[in-house]
Amino acid sequence: MTALDGVSLKLASAEFVTLLGPSGCGKTTLLRCISGFETLDAGDVLIDGAAVTQMPAHRRPVNTVFQRYALFNHMSVARNVGYALEIAGNDKATIRTRVSEMLELVGLEGMEKRSVSQLSGGQQQRVALARALAGKPKLLLLDEPLSALDKNLRQKMQQELKAIQRELGIGFVFVTHDQEEALTMSDRIAVLAHGRIQQIDVPSVLYESPANLFTADFLGESNLLPVAIDGGQASLADGQSFATTCASRQATLLLRPEALGLAKPEGPKLSFSGRIAETYYSGKDHQITLETAAFGTVRALIRSGATAPEVGADLTLHAPASGLHLIDEVAE
Amino acid sequence: MLRRLLSLYGLLFFVFIYAPILLVVAYSFNANTLNMMVWSGFTFDWYRQIFGYETAITDSTSYVDSSAQLYAAIRTSLTVALSTSVFASVFGTALALAVARFRFRLAGFYRTLMMVPMIMPDIVLGIALLIFFITIGMNLSIMTIIIGQSTFLISYVFVTVSARLADLDTSFEEASADLGATPMQTFRKVTLPGIAPGILGGWLLAFIISMDDLVITYFVAGTGNTTLPIHIWGMLRRGIKPEINAIATLMLLFTIVIAGVGLYLRSRRTK
Repeated sequence: MTALDGVSLKLASAEFVTLLGPSGCGKTTLLRCISGFETLDAGDVLIDGAAVTQMPAHRRPVNTVFQRYALFNHMSVARNVGYALEIAGNDKATIRTRVSEMLELVGLEGMEKRSVSQLSGGQQQRVALARALAGKPKLLLLDEPLSALDKNLRQKMQQELKAIQRELGIGFVFVTHDQEEALTMSDRIAVLAHGRIQQIDVPSVLYESPANLFTADFLGESNLLPVAIDGGQASLADGQSFATTCASRQATLLLRPEALGLAKPEGPKLSFSGRIAETYYSGKDHQITLETAAFGTVRALIRSGATAPEVGADLTLHAPASGLHLIDEVAE
Repeated sequence: MLRRLLSLYGLLFFVFIYAPILLVVAYSFNANTLNMMVWSGFTFDWYRQIFGYETAITDSTSYVDSSAQLYAAIRTSLTVALSTSVFASVFGTALALAVARFRFRLAGFYRTLMMVPMIMPDIVLGIALLIFFITIGMNLSIMTIIIGQSTFLISYVFVTVSARLADLDTSFEEASADLGATPMQTFRKVTLPGIAPGILGGWLLAFIISMDDLVITYFVAGTGNTTLPIHIWGMLRRGIKPEINAIATLMLLFTIVIAGVGLYLRSRRTK
């Protein structure tokens, strides 16, 4: 069985790269190839220019924050954090200094003597991070480290992780299936599916102009509408058209829900009329499902404040033709 | 009504299991020398006899086995149990580690192979071992008892340690390796502390079973190597004498203490 196929990934030093994909896409396997827990059938892993492909995990200059932290229950917080240093044969004073430094970095000052089983999930997460960083790895690997935390703690940890990464100036490879997490934290995101990297780029490019349908669909909400292209004009199923540079005859239009609005924009635009099938109020906006004759359901996000949309009412939404993105692929 | 019947059933069930054992304990304090089934008064005589105190020689006690023989049997049993349990613990743990942590062909088959000695009839194992030792020309001695018992006690340790290993997520060992520990360091600092309660439990189990084993030991002991169970068996053949009850009670106490210590250490470890 092939878990990964033709994957090529290059990190700049001090870069925060996220491997994003649905479960079973191979993102954790890729991480384990870097840390040395999976062997490659073909290809190479290089760290800082040196091949580590044949090097066992314990000799690689990378450390991992494991999904369930894998803290050593029979050791204190201090011994957990100091483990790498103890193994490397440092003297006690050095270890003690470095441990308190690390605990300060993750906001657990003075917790040295605690037993790890007395800690909350968030604290364990921080100990795992401190432990992985104590040995000064060239690269830190994080395997869905935030998935066990509740939402508030998660967002706090996202910001802290990012801050720590900037402070230390080392590369982070972060694995997650949470697209929001990936978008907020990463310098670049590699979208993985079926053991291949579908696209790798900075978050805004991935979100605004995805290269393929998988990325468009996986990142954020999207309306994917088929278009026919002829003579630099892309036409939708209902006859509306807009100018494009795409050379294919068939393509797919990506229309993000937030691109649609109630106000009629100046200049060329696309309009969608239909009946409101469902609405959800989420505080800052309304999520609307519009039932249209030509395209079936179209999803839109309308700022709240205006009159609340009602289910069953007729509605026309507009999108300026300027920011439209075409994907050179045909949806099935 | 049904509840009462059920309670009664529960009560009878435990009476059925524990009454014979409690009877032996009670009889060991019975002063009646002729018929132990009839209570004639409380005495420590049988315990005194075991520990070599002089008691009045009567008809019924004139053929009492000497305490020296009993002590020799206990010493043999302890020597055998200690050697066998340590031997079984080392090899059983090594096997459990290999089967649980290494990927190799037929791992499942080897796991089953390790279970078989536990369900093998003692008598078959006893005969097989006896024939084996004779075939290779090994004289029956305390050594053959140790080897013989080890063949199936390794399985008991294997099972207890395997259960513990199954609970010990491999991510702990991976975390250790990830932080730079060599396989040997990982074993010492992470794996061993993690499975220590299992090893300890397996060792105590092996010790208790070894102390208690009669059938297999009987086949491979030869003459002059009397373990405690063989000694008791020998005594029984000349009639059930009251001090057997006392010996049995002491063995029971010993086993309960060992098992209790095991359980205590286990509960302390997992906290």
